[in-house]
Amino acid sequence: MSEALQTYFTRVGRYPLLTREEEVELAKKIESGDRHAKDRMIQSNLRLAISVAKKYQSKGCSLEDLIQESNMGLIKAVDRFDWRRGFKFSTYAYWWIKQSVRTHVASQASDIKLPAHTRNLLYKMNVMIKEYEDEFGQKPSYEEVSVALGIPPSTLMSMIKCSSQTSLDANIKDRSGGSGRKIAEVVADNRSPNVEDLLDSVKIKGVMRKALTSLTCREENIIRLRFGIGESTPDDTDNFKISNSELNKIKKDSK
Amino acid sequence: MPKGYRSETGYSTVVKSGGRSYKEIAEEMTAIGFKMKHSAARNILIEAMKKFAVNVCELYDMDGSDIDRIAADPRFQDCIASYLEEESMI
Repeated sequence: MSEALQTYFTRVGRYPLLTREEEVELAKKIESGDRHAKDRMIQSNLRLAISVAKKYQSKGCSLEDLIQESNMGLIKAVDRFDWRRGFKFSTYAYWWIKQSVRTHVASQASDIKLPAHTRNLLYKMNVMIKEYEDEFGQKPSYEEVSVALGIPPSTLMSMIKCSSQTSLDANIKDRSGGSGRKIAEVVADNRSPNVEDLLDSVKIKGVMRKALTSLTCREENIIRLRFGIGESTPDDTDNFKISNSELNKIKKDSK
Repeated sequence: MPKGYRSETGYSTVVKSGGRSYKEIAEEMTAIGFKMKHSAARNILIEAMKKFAVNVCELYDMDGSDIDRIAADPRFQDCIASYLEEESMI
C-alpha cells in the first residue's frame, strides 16, 4: 500500500461515525444549504466509501481511482438523501457508491467502450446464465438468453463479441496475482512454420542429397523422365557416365 | 481383384503429370544410345527408389527389411517425386 493511501486512511479514521439523529440533523442543514454540514456528512462516511472501493480492488483498477470514484458516489448520495423516508444514510449511500464504482470499473475493464445499457444487459445476461445453470445444470442456448433478456439474437451475439475482446498487450496474471508476460507473447503464430517441421525438412533434404549423390546418371535421367521433372536433351548423352560392366549388362539384357 | 495397392502384388509406379510411361522412357533412352526395354526402365527406377528408401529408413530408424516394399510403393515414389520437383534438386 502506498504511503499516500496510508496517510489518507489514517486521516479518514479520525472522523467519527454519525448516529441516526445526527444524520437527520445534518440532512436538514444540508437541505437549507449548510456547506459545513455537507462536509461533515461526507467526511463521516468516507470509511463506507473505502470499504466499497476495496471490494472492487481485484477488477484491474487502482485502489486510489476506486476510492475517488466511490467518493464521487458518496457526494451524489449526500446531495440526494431524503431523511424523511426514515432510512439510515449508509443504506442509501451504499447503492450510489456501488453504482459509481461499478461504472468506473466497467469503463476501464474493456478496450471497447460499451454503452451503460449494454453493460447492464451483459450483467443481466451473466446473472441469467448463472441462475439457469443452477436450476437446470446446463448452459442456456443463445435463443433462450435472448428471449429472457428481450433482445434480438443478433444484438446478443454482438454484445458477446464485444465483451469477450482481449487486448494482446494485456498482462497474463499468474496464480500469485502478479503479471509477467503479455498475451501477445504466448499466442501461437499459425502462419510461422513449425520448428519440428523445419528440422525434419532440413534432415530430409540432407538425406535426399545423400541419395542423389549415389544415383547414376542413367537412374537420374529415368527419374526425370518418369516424373516429368526435366526433359533430357540429346546433349545429355555426353554427360552419361556409365561403366563398361553396366554397358555390357545393358547389351546382354537387350539381346 | 485383390484389395490394396498394386505395388503390394506386383510392380506399379506413379506417373506425375508430364511424366512418361516405361515404354516411352525405354524408347527415349534407346534413341539416345541406351538400348533398353520397358522392364529395364522400371527396374532402374525401382533401384533408384531403393537408394532413397535406404536413407529415409536410416533417418527414421526403420527396419531395413522393408526397403523393397517401400521403394515400390507409389505413395513413397510420389513423395520423392514431389520433393525433388519442389526443391529443384535434379
